[in-house]
Amino acid sequence: MQVSYSQDEQKFRDEVRAWLKENTPDEIIAQTLGGSTLDPELQKKYHKILAEKGWIGPAFPKELGGAGFGEMEQFIFNYEYSVSGAPRLKTQLMSVGMIGPLLLQFGTKEQQERFIPDMLSGETIWCQGFSEPNAGSDLASLKTKAELDGDELVLYGQKTWISIADHADWMFTLVRTDSSGRKQQGITFLLVDLKSPGVTVRPIEALTDHAPFCEIFFDNVRVPVANIVGKMHDGWNIAKALMQHERLNAFPIGELVYAVETVRKNAEKTKFRGKPLIEDPVFRRKYSLLEIDCQALLDTFFMLISQLKTGTAPGPQTSFLKVYGGELYQRVMDLDHEAIGSYGMSWYNEEFGNDVHQATMGMINSRSLTIWGGSSEIQRTIIATQVLNLPRK
Amino acid sequence: MDFELTSEHLMLKESAASFVKKEHSFERLRKLHNDPLGYTDDVYKKMAELGWMSLIYPEEYGGLGLDFSFALGLLEEFGRGLLPEPWLSTVMLGGNLVLMGGSESQKEEILPEIASGDLKMTAAYLEDDGMYELNFCSVSATKNGEGFSISGKKIFVLDGCSADKFIVTTRTSGSVTDKEGITLFIVPRDAAGLEIKPVKTMDGRNACMLEFKDVSVPESAMLGELDHGLPVFSEVMDQATAAICAEMVGGMSAAIDITCEYISERVQFGKAIGTFQALQHKAADMFIQKELSASAMYYAFASIEEKTEDRAMAVSVAKAKCSAAYLDVTKTAFQLCGAIAFTREADIGFFLMRAEVAGILFGDTDYHLDRYATLKGY
Ligand SMILES: Cc1cc2nc3c(=O)[nH]c(=O)nc-3n(C[C@H](O)[C@H](O)[C@H](O)COP(=O)(O)OP(=O)(O)OC[C@H]3O[C@@H](n4cnc5c(N)ncnc54)[C@H](O)[C@@H]3O)c2cc1C
Repeated sequence: MQVSYSQDEQKFRDEVRAWLKENTPDEIIAQTLGGSTLDPELQKKYHKILAEKGWIGPAFPKELGGAGFGEMEQFIFNYEYSVSGAPRLKTQLMSVGMIGPLLLQFGTKEQQERFIPDMLSGETIWCQGFSEPNAGSDLASLKTKAELDGDELVLYGQKTWISIADHADWMFTLVRTDSSGRKQQGITFLLVDLKSPGVTVRPIEALTDHAPFCEIFFDNVRVPVANIVGKMHDGWNIAKALMQHERLNAFPIGELVYAVETVRKNAEKTKFRGKPLIEDPVFRRKYSLLEIDCQALLDTFFMLISQLKTGTAPGPQTSFLKVYGGELYQRVMDLDHEAIGSYGMSWYNEEFGNDVHQATMGMINSRSLTIWGGSSEIQRTIIATQVLNLPRK
Repeated sequence: MDFELTSEHLMLKESAASFVKKEHSFERLRKLHNDPLGYTDDVYKKMAELGWMSLIYPEEYGGLGLDFSFALGLLEEFGRGLLPEPWLSTVMLGGNLVLMGGSESQKEEILPEIASGDLKMTAAYLEDDGMYELNFCSVSATKNGEGFSISGKKIFVLDGCSADKFIVTTRTSGSVTDKEGITLFIVPRDAAGLEIKPVKTMDGRNACMLEFKDVSVPESAMLGELDHGLPVFSEVMDQATAAICAEMVGGMSAAIDITCEYISERVQFGKAIGTFQALQHKAADMFIQKELSASAMYYAFASIEEKTEDRAMAVSVAKAKCSAAYLDVTKTAFQLCGAIAFTREADIGFFLMRAEVAGILFGDTDYHLDRYATLKGY
């Protein structure tokens, strides 16, 4: 057992740190903490900077434009990236974070070569179109229909809650190609060019003005069968694998650490009885509890990374990362909101600066962490039934 | 001991309910949410016509002369519908300070104007370095010939964009946290040297930041006695705090109703999601939190009405409870409703945003826990 990084790992970490410090523009630091909007142009600019360095896709092979990092390097990179305050880029959220790794695993060589270099260079932006008005947690009940017509699928139906669809060029989606069997059967995993005729994207007005999600309607949309990932009717298994990626990546632990530090900085600025709030004994304890819980979660990530190094694939037990991490992030944002005192009442008053904006938006936006990508209720049921093997009925 | 509302109380509550239903809607709230003021004068005027601005003021000043507890039902209904009109700031802060601390001539001048809906008032007391503490007061008022000159900054003045007059806590002697040495002044909005910066609050309503730059006020603008403003101010703040608790309880009830209705209808896995025990238990917890909050709030109202010795404590119990519960209830509502809660189309989101503001107004849970301990003497 060993708690510190190896010499090589340390060297790598120092290199990443130094590069990020040097090359991350000040105007984007800490801009996405509360999930708030970061100017798309700035995002694209930073995406390019990362891509040119070859670091946009830590997990991707070099031939396809990735960094070709090993598991430990990926962890170190991702961690250092988020604790530096660098933004979660919409240009890579769904591509590098989700569909990319999936294509490496299940895609054909043609699909990999066609899609991965463009997503890494930032040429194409992807979105995830899974949910439907009547298929949320019960995703397998999805109804968007795709009928085979020659070497094309013809789509009819509606998807909803699709983040960043208004900026996206492509969408990965699940469609029903057969409704004769169980609902999990007859689902196909498909890549759809959003510029195809018959696609309508309609933004949904969100509560906070950040990154609104969209509804997408398909009316007679023709998609080549070459865009199917995996086999026809076998999309559910692929989606399940994606959920695993989503679960691990949905929780950039470094971002949580960064958020916790933000709370401390805010509590140093806010005065209580004329002294910094962080010196108040009650606040200190509330704050250190968050740091401790965050450290324990970080330790859990170390465990997981160690297992990955020895080639053990994470199983359903990773569900607890999603539940605990999401709920912890919410607690962090709650305390961040407390830490700014009366400024917690503010709503888009630019003069109060980014810290206030992040704390107020973050409090609301972080509620979604326990809903999307498998809600806390669903994840707890997975832990109970698939990890603890409790009876289902 | 009797917490029951009388039939008169209930009649007023019902008329408030039908008023909110007729004059207000979530559609209206959606429209007003990004409006600089966040309310409209026509609805405010109608409230005044019903006598609600002077509900608890004595008849000699144009009021209805009702007991304090009549405000409870009114506020619960305002809270249910999230009515944004600046009733609380004018009636419970501004007017109430005049009523409880003002001279006869101040009462005669100001209260009838409030009653008619022609005058709006609020209190300015929060400061940057004091968090929620009432006695943390650095804004200075120094003797200046016949009157006083006020300098310094107040933050997040409730409904500050629409108030015609501010009642300001100032330091006239002692050090910044002393309880003695605080004096109240009435300052008109257009006073020379007063800078007003509008602020939008998360619930779609408004506040302002005030900067006093040698603002001159005559001695007649003083409310109550020199250096002894805090006791009256605290008493009024307690009443306003009880009032916002009533509003919060109304909000909790509505949030629970909306959520229960939604999960009874929303179907996933072939069943209404409200049939899942995981959600039923959360809904039950929301109810429990609301019930406890309501009881604590009723106790606070009864204590104020009866002027019991422990009324300040009762208010802190209620606010500590309500601030925590309202946030808890509305966050849980989000969890139970899923993605729809994040849209403007759904009503439930407005309750979380109100809970965040109301939770902070007049002190958050931690502030009231601390104050409670101090009042208890430990
Ligand atoms: C900010 C945000 C961004 C999103 N972005 C995307 C996106 O990019 N692409 C996309 O496809 N989707 C996206 N979603 C949608 C997301 O995947 C769904 O919200 C999620 O699947 C839950 O579905 P639902 O919202 O319909 O809630 P529902 O499924 O209706 O669930 C409501 C409540 O019921 C509970 N529940 C449901 N079933 C059970 C059960 N069996 N047992 C116990 N409790 C249960 C849930 O836990 C939840 O508390 C996004 C959602 C949000 C909030």
